[in-house]
Amino acid sequence: MDILNNWAFVGIFAVMAPVFPALPIVIAWLLRPHKPNVLKSQTYECGVETVGDTWVQFRVQYYIYGLIFLVFDVEMVLLFPWAVAYNRLDLFAFAAGFLFIFLLADGLIYAWRKDVLAWK
Amino acid sequence: MPPAVPTEFFVMLSMILFALGAMGVLLRKNAILVFMSVELMLNSANLALAAFARQWNEMDGHIFVFFVMTVAAAEVAIGLALIVAIFRHKQSINIDDLHQLEG
Amino acid sequence: MGEFNVWTSLPAVAPEIGLTILAAVVLLLDAYLPKEKNRARNIAFVSAVSMAVLALTPFIWAPAPNTSELFWGGMVRHDALGQLFDVMILLAGAITVMIAVDDSGVGRRGEFHLIVIIVTLGGCILSSSADLVMIFVALETVSIPLYVLAAFRREDNKSSESGLKYFLFGSFASAILLYGFSFLYGLTGSTQLTAIAAGLNSEIVSGNLVAVLAALLMVIVGFGFKISAVPFHFWTPDVYEGAPTPVTAFVSVASKAGSFAVFMRFLIEAFGLPAVSADATSTLVVIDGQTIQTFWVNLLTVFSILSMTVGNVLALRQKNFKRLLAYSSIAQAGYTLMGLAALQAQSAIGQDIAMASITFYMFMYTFTNLVIFAGIILFVEATGRENIADFAGLQRRSPWLALAMTIGLLSLAGIPPAAGFFGKLFLFQAAVEANLVGLAMIGVLNAIVALYYYLIIIKIMYVDQGIDEDKPLAMPRSYAWVLGITSVVIIILGVIPTPIFDLAQQGAAAVRLAMGS
Repeated sequence: MDILNNWAFVGIFAVMAPVFPALPIVIAWLLRPHKPNVLKSQTYECGVETVGDTWVQFRVQYYIYGLIFLVFDVEMVLLFPWAVAYNRLDLFAFAAGFLFIFLLADGLIYAWRKDVLAWK
Repeated sequence: MPPAVPTEFFVMLSMILFALGAMGVLLRKNAILVFMSVELMLNSANLALAAFARQWNEMDGHIFVFFVMTVAAAEVAIGLALIVAIFRHKQSINIDDLHQLEG
Repeated sequence: MGEFNVWTSLPAVAPEIGLTILAAVVLLLDAYLPKEKNRARNIAFVSAVSMAVLALTPFIWAPAPNTSELFWGGMVRHDALGQLFDVMILLAGAITVMIAVDDSGVGRRGEFHLIVIIVTLGGCILSSSADLVMIFVALETVSIPLYVLAAFRREDNKSSESGLKYFLFGSFASAILLYGFSFLYGLTGSTQLTAIAAGLNSEIVSGNLVAVLAALLMVIVGFGFKISAVPFHFWTPDVYEGAPTPVTAFVSVASKAGSFAVFMRFLIEAFGLPAVSADATSTLVVIDGQTIQTFWVNLLTVFSILSMTVGNVLALRQKNFKRLLAYSSIAQAGYTLMGLAALQAQSAIGQDIAMASITFYMFMYTFTNLVIFAGIILFVEATGRENIADFAGLQRRSPWLALAMTIGLLSLAGIPPAAGFFGKLFLFQAAVEANLVGLAMIGVLNAIVALYYYLIIIKIMYVDQGIDEDKPLAMPRSYAWVLGITSVVIIILGVIPTPIFDLAQQGAAAVRLAMGS
């Protein structure tokens, strides 16, 4: 019963929450005059007009940076539990962590030697 | 203290996410959306694993989740590279345009 | 996960340790070797020789005879079956590197060989995994680099397309598999396979039959995709045709052998085996009075029949050689599934033969497929064509190449003295031991249908007139070695299969005893 009561609140909120933002929009839509012209229909009412296509292509270089970042980003997922349990680890687990970092560093050296770290 | 949410709720949510992901894979035509649906499926499994791990009160499930996250990241890296490669050839990532290989 | 001793655990993963070191070394070699003409060739040579040498490690650090012990806190098993699968995957890696050397656009880039080493590493871990986490990670270590390899020729439209298809279908299958795993974990609270079996047999799971079957079904879908069994085979022809040929060769052997090994382990260890005699104990998982094994055995029997029939019938009308081999590999998966279905045998010998026949089949299939693909690579590099009709008159252009390919094709068709004969014989024997005479009959009928398209190719090579018959094909030395060695291995396995089969049977008995039946 307890759970049901708690969930009833969530249900009421779920119903009420959309009503609050929707209500002013509906009221405004009912009350406002409707007289569009060219100037009003423009995308921007202020600021500078956009030039060219919004879909700019990024360099592929950016992708490789992203990739290398991703590797070391995900490294944290696995190193975090290792670091948390650090004080209780035996020598082998300690070495295993370093082996893991070493293998990743190996990859970084590879990327470096292959010149992908230089921004061209 | 509020009552803990029962495991069944998490599992139910993960099933819904899994079904959404599977439907996305089967119905979508855009390679990136298909790929995102696959990621959704992987994450629904993660949610289920984490919920089960809490229910059993042990760590194996959490460890599993860590590894799945790592694998998913590797898949993202490879998948996006493949999609970029295809886009450069065809200027399209619609999977219906992949018909070089038929017979 | 309990205490474990690092030093006693090391031999269980000796090939994997070697491969990790090799991968790190090759990575640095590729980064630091100066740019010169033979650069990639040198890297390939180092990789191939090292992998061939590492194929000895499973014998140097062999498991104690007739045991199947768990190591690394229940993560991997160290037994004769894993040993054999390690050897075949390592040799497959070495041969793939050798046959890729002269393939334009693939073998001349150093990172190709590195990625092959990583797939091999994944395959070796996969074949001895005994834990859901390990299985998933190893399976992805095999699959993800293979997606890259399939799309390795970026400039080639077909290659990128096959890579993307392989990736999308493959990751979908992995996600389904993982969801099945998460439910097995949720029901039993354990990720270790034998612990899962114990958990499924306990009181907690009763009433959850549907959930267990759903999880099992999802896992079967995932593995079915990896071994390209019908109805999860639709990716196979496209990927086989589009991927660079050395990669196709590697996909067809390494990923398949590793997946079959772990699929077999999963089904045996998580769902048990029947009692081997009236007074022996059964290890079968029984939930709500229903034996789970009945379910998967019947399902795999259906898949086996479908795969054999669909693969062979569709292979009949193929014109592209690689596509033909794709359908042929679907059919071969069907034969091998017969071995899994035969695990329902209620005698010790029946169960052992079932496991050993799968192992032997994969062992001989590795060499068989690689010799044919090596021949195709050589031919395509020289002529640029890969249709079956283009092989007309090959015997006059290169008698040794034609001979090697004939041995490979005879092995696929199952004709003595090639190894394929015993491969099929053992599988049929396993099916008969398990009282699946009907299934064995369907297998024999399929083998007869398959004879037709294999023999046609031999006829084309030896009898038909080709347009370029006066132009002999040059045979680079590395290919001569690979074709020679693999052909000889196929013939040796076909004449005296017993050493390998006996070892496989010992391994099977060890696995069965470790289960406690």
